[in-house]
Amino acid sequence: MEQTIRICHMYPDLLNLYGDRGNILALAYRAGLRGIKARVTALSIGEVFEPEQYDIVFFGGGQDAEQNIIRADLVQIKGDAVKTAVNNGNVFLCICGGYQMMGEYYEEFDGTRIDCLHAINIYTIAQKKRLIGNTVYESDLLRAGAAHNCVEPRKLFGFENHSGRTFLGEGVRPLAKVLCGAGNNGEDGTEGAVYRNVYCTYSHGSFLPKNPAMADHLLEKALKQRIGEDFCLEPAECEVENIARTSASTCKRG
Amino acid sequence: MRSFGTAAAMAAAGAIRFALRFLGKGATTLPGKVAIRIAPDFLNEMSRGKNIIMVTGTNGKTTTTHMISEILKKAGYSVGTNVSGANLASGLATVFAEHAPAERAAGRKGIPTAYVLETDEAAFAVTAGRINPKVCVVTNLFRDQLDRFGELLYTRSCIEKGLDATDSKVLLNADDSMIAALRNGRENRVAFFGADEAHMMSNNVTKAAEPATLPSSSDAEYCLKCKVKFEYSARSFGHFGMYRCPSCGDHRQTPDFSAYTEGSTFETGAPLILTGEGARASSSLSIPGAHNVYNAAAAIGACVLFGKEAGDETLTLPFCAEVLSLVRPAFGRMEKIMVGEKSFCILLVKNPVGLDRALTHISEATDVGGVYLLLNSNIADGTDVSWIWDVDFESRKFPDQTYVSGERYAEMLLRLVYSKAVPDTVKSAEMKRSEALFEEALAACPDGKCLYVLPNYTAMLSLRKYLVGRFRLKNYWK
Repeated sequence: MEQTIRICHMYPDLLNLYGDRGNILALAYRAGLRGIKARVTALSIGEVFEPEQYDIVFFGGGQDAEQNIIRADLVQIKGDAVKTAVNNGNVFLCICGGYQMMGEYYEEFDGTRIDCLHAINIYTIAQKKRLIGNTVYESDLLRAGAAHNCVEPRKLFGFENHSGRTFLGEGVRPLAKVLCGAGNNGEDGTEGAVYRNVYCTYSHGSFLPKNPAMADHLLEKALKQRIGEDFCLEPAECEVENIARTSASTCKRG
Repeated sequence: MRSFGTAAAMAAAGAIRFALRFLGKGATTLPGKVAIRIAPDFLNEMSRGKNIIMVTGTNGKTTTTHMISEILKKAGYSVGTNVSGANLASGLATVFAEHAPAERAAGRKGIPTAYVLETDEAAFAVTAGRINPKVCVVTNLFRDQLDRFGELLYTRSCIEKGLDATDSKVLLNADDSMIAALRNGRENRVAFFGADEAHMMSNNVTKAAEPATLPSSSDAEYCLKCKVKFEYSARSFGHFGMYRCPSCGDHRQTPDFSAYTEGSTFETGAPLILTGEGARASSSLSIPGAHNVYNAAAAIGACVLFGKEAGDETLTLPFCAEVLSLVRPAFGRMEKIMVGEKSFCILLVKNPVGLDRALTHISEATDVGGVYLLLNSNIADGTDVSWIWDVDFESRKFPDQTYVSGERYAEMLLRLVYSKAVPDTVKSAEMKRSEALFEEALAACPDGKCLYVLPNYTAMLSLRKYLVGRFRLKNYWK
């Protein structure tokens, strides 16, 4: 029987900055290499989120104005279901604005605190200076595993563009340590967050395409969740990804 | 009377320009940079009392500027313009410094001078007040260089700041909700350009778009004031169209100047119908593409408005329409170059909507003999290349002869492979081998067909440099 991976794309008409769409394409592509079909459902304002309908939930980043548009809907309409999903072990990938919104609060320049989802124990404080540039991180959660012959599988390559500084609270661990770039806050050398099966990062755009071990990690987690702990993703090559990884390994910051 | 500082700045700029030209380098920014350093008020002094049109926005600046310049030249003006695309303050200052002798010579013969200045959005914020043009054109707002601007609304705030520093007439894109919103508080000096309404509606009925696997990322789906999704009765492309906010009722304004083509917008020379000021005129689309229909509407609008401001009765809609049909593409914008029986065509792709338009064009063109994509990530390109993932490649088809190069060729190759739209025959090479790959692609292109080359900005500059030598093309700064 043909397997399907069910992906929920949250607010694609609003949270779609800096190429975040590429992460969905990467999940679908890497799943396809194993003959697993991706079914992508877009959910936006006013639509109900039913956690049991999805294996992976994706939250991208948006502009401040657009994040303001979704905030009420997210907190009031989808909030409880998102928290249920987190506690049930659903796999999430949350990037930049999506990452910040999963947390406790977001504090603006003027000190105003915007209440967030309280799904994971992190908080964010905005600063005027944006952190922008290429990044290289290293995550000890990753191994080549099913991403066969992946070059330096623990390394994560990306591009960050954020003004928020995020700090992790108790029970949440960083996704990676910073080798190049600013990461969560430019201070403590951490990047991203992991809580249960929720993975968060500031890496934009081509995050999963350039990091196939990460994409495979999410796919495997999600399918284990549905099929059982014994499920293992078949190995798949990373030939074209490796070319991009090798050329990104010299981290140039402008 | 110019101040001593400005005179000294002019002399220095002239000397540098001469030296750079002598060395065979295009002096498009350095003379202006030095001039501003010597005389900080250089732009104010050089622009005082002159006929100036400024063009800003994320896309279409170069082509619109070029169209306006060609119309004004035909109308008898001596035109100073930054054809090279050097559009920061230094580039604008260079235009004034460079064109000064021609302006003096024209003045002696009683010929008027006009300046048409393509201006970067951030540079517009700080130069519009100094230059105080007669007309400002704002083409559109699409995601572009976000590593530099952070967010799109910041880019808009730059344009807003520039507009508020002048009392010029303002020509806005009616179909772009984010640009049209700039009318608020400036109503008495604003006019609109856009696509022809009836045509946009019928187009949507006859050519319903196939739903994409995953829709492209869009920029302005919501009314920012009401946080409610716009309703569209018709769209042209991207977020351009007949939008309406169901909450506050904000809606697309009727354009004062509009355009549409009869037949395909992908064909060079398709009949182009222009309307404005109660008149209607026929022209032809000399540079193909739906986005160039917008550029054409913007250009005629700018010229007619300018004519009114400057009291020039030559610049009527029919006159502008006639010249427009003869305009050749600007540097790197659909420029087609014949090589024996085949040709190549350069389409600059510097942001998602530009790439989307180029891919649409290639999908529709009947003469595709190869596609060559080049991706760099220098400061002038934007250091973030993740925007290539915002574009829908999935629903396109690429020919067997598809090639990839540029400093970030690996990222573009990954994008193509992930799209599954490209055959296994795709070839790639590092930037240092990009010229050899061009030769290979051109050799493989059959006679009668065209190799479409899609570079981003600095990749285009370096390729162009090679092509100038190889095919004895005209240097763009001449």
